[in-house]
Amino acid sequence: MSSHQTKESSFLGGRIPPEVESMSRYLKDASLTLDQDTFRKILKALVSSIEGRDCREVMRHIAESSVIPEEKLSHIVAGMYRVLTEAIRIPTSSLKQEAFKEDLRELRIPEDFITDFASVVFGSRRAALEAVTSERDPHLPTLDELRWRVDVTISTSSLARALQPSVLMQIKLSDGSLQQFEVPVSKFQELRYNVALILKEMNDLEKKSVLQIQD
Amino acid sequence: MASIFKETQSIKEAVAFINAIDVNKFSRLISRIIQKLHLKGERILSEDEELKLQAALSLEKPALTLVLETVSFILEQAVYHNVKPASLQQQLEAVHVSPDKAEVFTQTWASAGPELVDKLRQTVFAPKKLEHVGWQLNLQMAQSSQAKLKDPSAVLQLGLRAEDSEAQENIFVEFSHQELLEFYNKLEIVQGQLDSLT
Repeated sequence: MSSHQTKESSFLGGRIPPEVESMSRYLKDASLTLDQDTFRKILKALVSSIEGRDCREVMRHIAESSVIPEEKLSHIVAGMYRVLTEAIRIPTSSLKQEAFKEDLRELRIPEDFITDFASVVFGSRRAALEAVTSERDPHLPTLDELRWRVDVTISTSSLARALQPSVLMQIKLSDGSLQQFEVPVSKFQELRYNVALILKEMNDLEKKSVLQIQD
Repeated sequence: MASIFKETQSIKEAVAFINAIDVNKFSRLISRIIQKLHLKGERILSEDEELKLQAALSLEKPALTLVLETVSFILEQAVYHNVKPASLQQQLEAVHVSPDKAEVFTQTWASAGPELVDKLRQTVFAPKKLEHVGWQLNLQMAQSSQAKLKDPSAVLQLGLRAEDSEAQENIFVEFSHQELLEFYNKLEIVQGQLDSLT
């Protein structure tokens, strides 16, 4: 164990995933001659796939035009995919580019490929990748759109002079549902008060020193 | 103010019956009617209660129905025009309701009337009404796609009830800090509109 290493284990965890092991084995294998061009094509297709697009056509094309046997190629692709997803999971505040590269060097992955990996994980598309993968995780519906109307009821069939204000709200949620409902003025105040209260609590929470620690 | 009801034939008949009822029993009857007045479509008295009342007041079914309908009508008109108790008493006596009954009517109206008017003011025509606001503040630590988060997130529970149903429908909406802030800003704009009305 070299004395200059301060981090515990690789970003891939204590035990390197098997597909990453086999990938690094094949990448080192000179007889396989995986050229950088093909590597980059695969990388691009994987990024596309992570972003949610169908890349089967592209992958098939790559497999057909490559001299590498399909089985070995699939190990390489699986390993590359794992490296990307695991790295994207960890916030850039925790996993720095140098540490990432070091971890990959320990697996004896060729330096050129490491640079390419790093350019995806720490490049400009990182934020978009995080956003897309985050959407697939379980969460409650969020507010897509809020439309509202303030009415004053002048009179009704029961009251000649009602003069009662009320708020009509229509909310569209991220799961596609649409809800329309009236909010009596007193309830509206309650809603507003509660939202302000939550915001205050969020602010207090974010200031707590426990949360300032970077891990 | 203009009279809120005219002395029609059916009112004359009803008044005759009303005047014959014992004043205490009448007082209880009016209180009961005024309690149920805001509930559209519901019977004021159950079948059983009506039968018992017929016996207690010595009224046949048609007579009792007329009395109930007339008293309800008078009260609905009183609510609609939001008449003052004194004015109501005057108008009752103008259609020959005996003074003791008119007094009882007026007293009940004076005490229970304002609440009834208020309740009707709040009645909603919209399909659903917001009845309950609940919330939960969470700190999200991780998810499948992201480790080491420290994201506060709030879940807002909105309890909606349709006008004619008892069941409350709950909607849950999740907000990040930024999303909640945007929501709050919208609420502030609405508040501004409400403020400009007063």
